[in-house]
This record gives sequence, structure tokens and C-alpha cells, in this order.
Amino acid sequence: MPVLRAHGLETTLPSGFEGRIFVRPSAGGAVAHPVAHFATFPLPSTTGDFGGGAVSLMGDTDIFAVLFEYGPESLGTALFARQGMPRSLTPDDFRPYVLRRGLSGQSGTQWFFTEGGRPFTLYVVLGSHARRAQLVPRVNQLLAPLTVQSVAPAAAPGAGWN
Amino acid sequence: MVALVVALGAVVALVAVLVAGLLRSHADILKALHDLGVGVGDPVEGRGADAPAGHGATSGPVPLRLGPPLPPERDSSSAPALAGVTPWGDALAVAPASSDGLTLLAFLTTGCSSCAGFWETFRRSGTVGLPYGTRVVVVTKGPDRELATEVAALAPPDLPVVMSGEAWDDYEVPGSPFFVLVDGRSGRRVGEGVANGFAQVADLVRRAEAELGERSVGGRAPGGAIGIDGPAREAANDRELRAAGILPGDPSLYPRKLEDLYGPGGSAGGAPAVGPVGRAG
Repeated sequence: MPVLRAHGLETTLPSGFEGRIFVRPSAGGAVAHPVAHFATFPLPSTTGDFGGGAVSLMGDTDIFAVLFEYGPESLGTALFARQGMPRSLTPDDFRPYVLRRGLSGQSGTQWFFTEGGRPFTLYVVLGSHARRAQLVPRVNQLLAPLTVQSVAPAAAPGAGWN
Repeated sequence: MVALVVALGAVVALVAVLVAGLLRSHADILKALHDLGVGVGDPVEGRGADAPAGHGATSGPVPLRLGPPLPPERDSSSAPALAGVTPWGDALAVAPASSDGLTLLAFLTTGCSSCAGFWETFRRSGTVGLPYGTRVVVVTKGPDRELATEVAALAPPDLPVVMSGEAWDDYEVPGSPFFVLVDGRSGRRVGEGVANGFAQVADLVRRAEAELGERSVGGRAPGGAIGIDGPAREAANDRELRAAGILPGDPSLYPRKLEDLYGPGGSAGGAPAVGPVGRAG
């Protein structure tokens, strides 16, 4: 099974999934952070961070998932208070209205959390809300082997060479 | 008399040996032809006539071939997922057997002179010249065998490029440039081989697409299923139109009157032909 490893993220993809872990080129001085895309269908090279250009291609049995890292300024905020990525989702976690782009029939879930000292959001889209009971176990198969490498703790102020 | 019988027996024995040798040689030739995909009959009992060359474990259509013959013992049907890194240090995994369409894997290196034309064509034109919806993935050897900066300098801006020595092993790539065409619906390779020019590759893809289109008649392909939308629907419509002999520019695609659709005196559902579309009462 294919192994994806880059930017402190690593996973072994279940059969039928493809994916990528990337960092967009920085623009306008903004610091880009790692993004991971996983899908059961061919991902267009122009896919937006949260699936723009890809979710419209999904079939009823397709899955699209994003792991998006935020900057260190988000650490410690209430939004990212949850520790650890959810790795065992249930069909009840998915709602048709939890979609960045509301496409009829689809369903989504989004979680904010901190893992390994890094703030993330996990966003998952199912091709069909009606088939969520069938699709959610596949989502969990995808999430189970996903590991986040911890960032090294920041040096204490004043630390340095003797 | 005894001498005559002995001589006759010797001649018969000699002829028998010659005939046996000829039969053996004939069988070898038939087997070799069959392995190349142009044989007739089935030289091996229990092996489907459509079995891909080189392995009898799976049945299915013989992959289309490009260039010189490939070793018969290689696996020419499996289409495993491939994973590696991009020249920019990202990770990328592609599952060609999980798509609804055709995926062309282009195994290229930065050093081979024959590859230069393909790098240039992909960088300049992307997938132009290939049937609509064909996905192209460029696969180089891993970072241990290729310099990422050199790959990055050649990489087409709009196509995925993955550096993966494992993929070269999985697909038993004999050399570069080498191309593998995978049909996502069947999850199998439908063509492969060495090509010297992009026109050869484009022809391979078009032939494969035509064959797959023919095979889907009578058993509607997933791409033509009711409920698809967007580019998949457009591609399915194009396939149906081509299968019906309606090519780009066909007058029936630009009807001005009902006669353009149903012919002179014809009508839809038996109703009398009427005037120009949009003015019918």
C-alpha cells in the first residue's frame, strides 16, 4: 500500500485512495503551512485547500478529506482546544449543511484540534449523505494510520550560544 | 530382405524424429505468437484466450502494445497505486485503478535523449492531443536516482510528477521513455510500451479508448450512467456521439430546423414536421 510522507505528516493509504501532502508556495509574505488531500477519485491538480474544484467531481460513493494545518499563532486558542485528531468518526458526525460548498446530496464534517503541538482542521466530505453508514468506515480506515510528527518545542527566549 | 527391413525402419525412425522436431518447433512458434498477443487458439489448457501476455493468472483483454516486444513473463495487467515525492518535496500518491477514466503513466528520466521530446511536449501542451478526460502522470525514478532540481526544471506545470523508484519496479519498466495506460473502470492496464514520439502515445490512447467504447456497448459504462454531471457527463456524451458517428462539426449538432434533426419529412414521435425550432406553435 502506498505510503505518503512529507512535511511532518505520514500515512499509509488504504486501497482505492490517492492523496498528496504539500505546502503551497508562499505569496505576499504569508507563511504557507502543510495541507493533505485524500480522495477516492482522481484529484485535479488545481484542487483548492478545502476541495474547491474537486468535490464537484465526486460520485455517490466517493470520499474527500483534507488535513489543513494552521500557523502557530492558533495554538492555545479555544477553537483548537481539542487534543488529537478524531480517528473514529460515526455517521452521526456528518451533516449535509457542514459543507464549504453545499452540493446536493453530499455530507460533511469538520473538526479543529491540536496534535503534536500543531493546530489542524480535518474536513471530510462524503459523496452521498444517504450512504454515510457505508462510507464512514472507509473514512476511519483512512484516518487510523495518519500520524502527525511533533514539532520541536520553541527555544526559550534568550537561549543561544554561550 | 532383413537389411531392407532394417533400412526401412531406420528411415521411418528418422522421419519420426524429424516430424517430432517440426511439431515442437511449430508449437514454440505458436506459443511465442500467442504471448505476443497475435496467436490463434489456446496453446495452454485452462488459460483464457484473452489472457494478457506473460501471465495466466488473470483473464482479460490483451493490452495494446507500443514499440518492440516486451518480455513475455512480465505482468502486463496489474495497475497498482504509486507513491513518491514530487520534485518540490511534497508527497503524492496516485491510484490509477480507482478512477472512472484512462490514466496514462509516462515513465521518463531526465537523462534519456528520447525523453526530452516528451518533457517538452507535456510542458508546452499538457494533455492536448489526448482524448478528453485522459489523466497524465509523469513518473521518474526516485530521489536516489534522479536530482529533484533537474526534474523540477523539466516538470510540466499542469501535470502531476511523482518521483518513485518503487513504481518503476511495480510496473516492471524496462527502460525510458515507457508508457502505461490504465483503464480505471476495469482497474487494468489496457496498453503499454516504448514510444519514440508523442503521436504514437496519442494513437495508443485513442485506440484503447475506441476499444473500451466498443466493449461497453450492451453493458453501459459507469461514465454513461444516469446521474453523472460536469466533465464526466460531457465526456460520456462525447463518447456516445462518437460511437454514433457524430463528430465535431457535424451539422446535426447545430440544428436550425427540425429537418436537421429528423431528416426531410421526418418528425419526432410521428408528429408532422414543423417550421424552424423555436417558432413551432
